[in-house]
Formats: sequence, C-alpha cells, structure tokens
Amino acid sequence: MARPHIEPYVELNEDFKKFDQLGTTGSHYKILSLDVDTGACTLKVRYNAGFSRPPGMSYSDCEIFVLNGLMTVGDTTCVAGHYFFIPAGVATGAINVPQGCEALVMYNDSEPSFIESDTNHPLANTEGFISVNSYEDMPWGGGSIVSPSVATGCMIKILRYDPLSEAISFLYCMAPKFMQDNISYHDCAEESYHIWGTSWMMQFGELPTGGYFWRPPYINHGSFRCELGTLAFGRTDSKLHNYFHFNPWSNVDENILRAGAHLYRQRPDMFKWVASDGHNHPHGPDDFQNPGYNHPHEH
Amino acid sequence: MTKKVQDEAPARSAEAQAWIDENVAEQQVRYEGIVKEMDELAPTRAKWYEEFLHIVQTKGFSADGDRRVVIKPENVPQKPDRPDRVVF
Repeated sequence: MARPHIEPYVELNEDFKKFDQLGTTGSHYKILSLDVDTGACTLKVRYNAGFSRPPGMSYSDCEIFVLNGLMTVGDTTCVAGHYFFIPAGVATGAINVPQGCEALVMYNDSEPSFIESDTNHPLANTEGFISVNSYEDMPWGGGSIVSPSVATGCMIKILRYDPLSEAISFLYCMAPKFMQDNISYHDCAEESYHIWGTSWMMQFGELPTGGYFWRPPYINHGSFRCELGTLAFGRTDSKLHNYFHFNPWSNVDENILRAGAHLYRQRPDMFKWVASDGHNHPHGPDDFQNPGYNHPHEH
Repeated sequence: MTKKVQDEAPARSAEAQAWIDENVAEQQVRYEGIVKEMDELAPTRAKWYEEFLHIVQTKGFSADGDRRVVIKPENVPQKPDRPDRVVF
C-alpha cells in the first residue's frame, strides 16, 4: 500500500527516537512517512554533537536537506538550506557534525542502509549527484512551472528534476497574504515540510512550522491561504499536473476519472492505446531511449 | 534491461525488518489520530466549503495563475448524499 496519507502532521509535538542501527549511531530520528512495503521513508534526523560517520554509500537513492546546524560531508561544509541528492551506490565522504545539526533525510527506494566504502558502486549513477545550498546559491523563480499554474505569490527553486519521471524536489515559499481560490489534485504523490510559517488548506486547516504531509495522488487540497508567509521543502514522485476545480465533495475515484478524461481529450490516441487489451499493464510501456527505466520484467 | 544499484541490494536483515515493523505500527497509530482529528474538523470545514463556494461565485475561481472565472449559480456543485472524506 506504499505510504499512507499523512496529512496534516506536526512533528514538533513528537519526541525523537534513538537511531542506533542501520549506520546512524549517534543520531535521533522521527518518522514523517514510511512506505510499509519497501521501507522507503522521510525522516527528520537530529545529528548529535560529535556525530561521525565514515565514507560510505546506500543501496537507496537518498536526499538530505539541512534544516539547521552544520555538518561536513567530505570536504563540503553544509549549513541550513544545503540539499543533497545522492544516487544509490554513490559514496559520500565522511560526515562529521561538530555541534549538532538537524536535517530531513529521505530514502527513496528502501529502508535506510549504509555500507562503509570510499569508492562508488560500479553501477552508481554518479551524474545524478547534486550538492547545492538552496538558500544561498539559487534564485527564486515564479511558481508557474506548469500550466495551469499556481497564483502569483508562490515561488519556487527546483533542486532536482528527474527527466524520466518528471519528479521534482524543490524549495517553495508563499508570500504573506497569498491566496488561491481553487481545489487541486495531482497524478503524483506530493510531500511537504514547513521549515517556517503557517499556511492553510480548506480540507486540513492550518499547517504550521514543523508541519508535514505525504499526500497520495488524486486527493483534494485547497483552496489556499497564507497569512504571514511560509518557507517549505517539497517533493513529487512523478510529473505534477494541477487539476483545478471547485467541487469540495469530489472523491478520489471521481478525481481519477476526471484525470482520465483529461488524457482522453488531450491525447486521445495515447488514451486508446493504453486502454486497449494487451497493452494495459501496471508498468510503463517500453521506451527505446531508456530501456528498463520502469519495466523490470520481460515480455 | 539496465541493471541498477538497487537490484544488487542485499536481502533485508531481521534488524531492518524489525525497525520497519516498529515504525509502521507507530505510523498506523499516527494515521488514525489524523483521521480522528480531521473528522472532528468537519463542522468547521463545512463552513469553509460554504465560504469557498460563495467566493467562486463572486470573486471567482482561480482557473490558472491569477486568471479568475466567476462560476454561475447553476454550475455550483451540490453536496452529495455521502460522508465527506479528506484523508484516504
């Protein structure tokens, strides 16, 4: 069943748990969301002063967003706003945390894992590695990255874009008095953590600092308000399309049908091909340019 | 088929499975708490829906970016005869 719908969840009210296994000794964690099958998860991790970990790799893609404090990763000094995308098998340098640090840590494929190593796995997608300070080294852009788009006043910094799935990881902010009077849903799962500030959605009420959600596809959210401004980290697991509407009572099944109708109207031949017998299976069709991208079985 | 690092991951250890099981159980409790909290919000949410439907008929519905479309009364949806659910 993958990850359940966790929304809204305010982690600041919860205690940290000791992390003394899976290569994380010397830190504490909170689960924000967890895939019950694969173990993929989003954690808030508190690295205690003096935390140290040798160079190593994970068998899962991993994303890290530094919330506060300072950590060194190899030769890189990371402070608040630093973002890493570490593909599975890419060995990072030793991690040292002299005085404490908190970060969002996301394992995308499986439970946390760590193998001590100072070399990359032979199959590692080293080109996918990203290390950037999102606060200091990137400008804000308008939020209208897709059409239909969000209202003016929501700005975004794209930290990672997956060219195959169009999944994105991003920093976003809402200006004070931001408003958007529609209800939205997407084909993708959507995740957010409020670094600072409070925003409001009509279904869930206010989400304050430390607020979090993991929202599976096709679930209504909005309309939207933000009184004093919000800074947040967000992700999708695939392409984000805004299906806007004004029916507060539509359910997931109706939203999926509407999304199917959207595909039928805009790409009718593709709709017919996908819906036809013999081609309709849960994995994507073959892609000659990217063999095996999500098609693990042979015909 | 392109082979990936993830395909070579060792089998999940008993320790890792225990970690998942413990946290899945806690997550389920958290989920049930969220559902309860959201159910309790229902009366307030009903008022928010009412205000929203008024806004889309007066100020307009945010159709794309800052473009608003005023919804005619005959096109305003009616509450269906079923429980409203926001957490799935």
